Amino acid sequence: MKQLLSVALGVLTAIGGFVDIGDLVTSGLVGSRFGLSLAWATLVGVVGICLFAEMSGRVAAVSGRATFDLVRERLGPRAGLANLAASFLITVLTFAAEVGGIALALELASSVNYLLWVPAAGLAVWLVIWRVRFSVLENVFGLLGLALVVFAVALWKLSPSWSDLAHQVLAPHNPSGEGLPTYFYYAIALFGAAMTPYEVFFFSSGGVEEHWTKRDIRTSRLNVFVGFPLGGLLSLSIAATAALVLLPRNIEVDALAQVGLPVAVAAGKLALAAAILGFVAATFGAALETGLSSGYAVAQYFGWQWGKLVRPREAARFHLVVLASTIAAVATILTTIDPIKVTEYSVVFSAVALPLTYLPILVISNDRDYMGDKVNGRVSNLLGSVFLVLVVVAAVAAIPLMLATKAGQ
Amino acid sequence: MRASDLLGREVLDRDGIRLGVVTDLRCVLDGPLRGGLCAPRVEALLVSRHRTGSLLGYDRNEQQGPWLLRVLVRLLHRRLTVVPWTVVETSQAGPLARPLALRVAAADLPAAEGRHTPG
Amino acid sequence: MTVAAGRVIDLHLHLLDRQVVDPDGRMVCKVDDLELELDERGRPYVTAILLGPRALGPRLGGRLGRWVAAIGERLAERDRPVSRIDFSLVTDIGSAIAVSRPRGRLDVIPLEDWVEEHVIARIPGSRHESE
Repeated sequence: MKQLLSVALGVLTAIGGFVDIGDLVTSGLVGSRFGLSLAWATLVGVVGICLFAEMSGRVAAVSGRATFDLVRERLGPRAGLANLAASFLITVLTFAAEVGGIALALELASSVNYLLWVPAAGLAVWLVIWRVRFSVLENVFGLLGLALVVFAVALWKLSPSWSDLAHQVLAPHNPSGEGLPTYFYYAIALFGAAMTPYEVFFFSSGGVEEHWTKRDIRTSRLNVFVGFPLGGLLSLSIAATAALVLLPRNIEVDALAQVGLPVAVAAGKLALAAAILGFVAATFGAALETGLSSGYAVAQYFGWQWGKLVRPREAARFHLVVLASTIAAVATILTTIDPIKVTEYSVVFSAVALPLTYLPILVISNDRDYMGDKVNGRVSNLLGSVFLVLVVVAAVAAIPLMLATKAGQ
Repeated sequence: MRASDLLGREVLDRDGIRLGVVTDLRCVLDGPLRGGLCAPRVEALLVSRHRTGSLLGYDRNEQQGPWLLRVLVRLLHRRLTVVPWTVVETSQAGPLARPLALRVAAADLPAAEGRHTPG
Repeated sequence: MTVAAGRVIDLHLHLLDRQVVDPDGRMVCKVDDLELELDERGRPYVTAILLGPRALGPRLGGRLGRWVAAIGERLAERDRPVSRIDFSLVTDIGSAIAVSRPRGRLDVIPLEDWVEEHVIARIPGSRHESE
């Protein structure tokens, strides 16, 4: 019974923890401009992150090594360092976006200007990383993030024509007025929002910290294959409600408030309050993950002790990096740059950085010296190869499309 | 001397033909006994045309998936040569950037299967 | 993958850039480079693991590598040689390299000690795990 509860907890946490500021903003934005015609991009991204997380979780369980540890081993110190620089910068950028997201969500809740919330949010995030137990951290924010299920409720309450929605998803077409480059730019954005690299750093590092063994592979798979897709459904609900409420009124999402608007319209004030709670939990949880991941990446490249399961004094350099990243993230948002813009950039650059971590994981999960008989099966390798191509194509196309469409104008 | 002094060095055969660069040092654990393990002792150089991707393991392990990557890396590393240490001109194996010279012609080197799965 | 005597390993693939772990499971460093000596027949064999910026720099190569090595020179105490872990302390070569001495007694990570003393220890709560 206890095991069942713990498995349920893991799955629920994965669902609630799936969505971050990138998913919130991008899904809302895309829904308000494209309806559900880009739902396929989210679906592809969800399959991709499931694949990616399963492989890195399995590698962590069997080899006891986390992602960035292996990146340096397999790419060599020079390519590994370039990889680290890129991954670290993008993780910190995402961290900044999440901190901005927390502040925006708190502004929604309190009507106090978001800039005033930023230092408090940064401090709170750092304090939680410093003092709160790993499992508590994951579970609390994961479960609170389930409040976002209110979007699914709102969707149901809007009584949409389900066949019409299904038609949009299955037969995607480009709505009038949007160019093809813009369409694909947002496809990449949705892909990058679902397949965030930091998620994999965090997931595999957590597995190593909790001393996963082969027996934990099954639980990890359950969390990934059940939790992540359901989390993806939440993203789709956000897009769908935006499509139903904002698109007909030509309201484009450029603030977090508009992402929540459909819920208020469909289900009232209480539902909106739940949505805001969900926003805070999702962004705070993601801020914790990105903050820790920035430390994981650097420490694992250089071989430093890392993690929350040892005393901070025993992982001094790791904690210093986390502290520095927090300060950098807070400072970025305090420059009054629009946090929504930061989010959009972080999502696109995530897509650019994706091959850097994806490739080593794909290779190692096939290496018998490491994995013994737990190497990838045919299906994993087939899917893995398809996604390798996808990930590289997205990475190469992202920046040119961003420039060509002026970031989706 | 460091391992990094040998890795990446260009290798020329007796006639000056470039074989490639040293991408790895194949060792046997039979060196002077130090503590728990015998020291790894270099028995051969793995020489390939390029350095890229040599750490991914595809030029070594027989059937490592996925197929796509294996094909790509094998293309890059078509000419993996195993050069026994005994044929290396050892007067040059110091920390200088000169190419490593061999005492034999490339044609005399054993055909590279390279499919050795260290265990 | 435990490697026993007489077994074959490839230095670059199996030793370099691997994590070094102490008997308590604590992470010590990465194998940044390896020290080789020649035996009586002129064959090189591994005598030590080298670590730190002065070991990693040359492997990064180019201007970046020289800069990293120069930082190492600056940070090192006068006449202190490149940080090394004698190979006699290595007990296993697997997905990580295990050594027989706890990291506190290896005396090879001055930067960690410095950061610990001057930065982290001054923040309240640093003595306890997150429990």
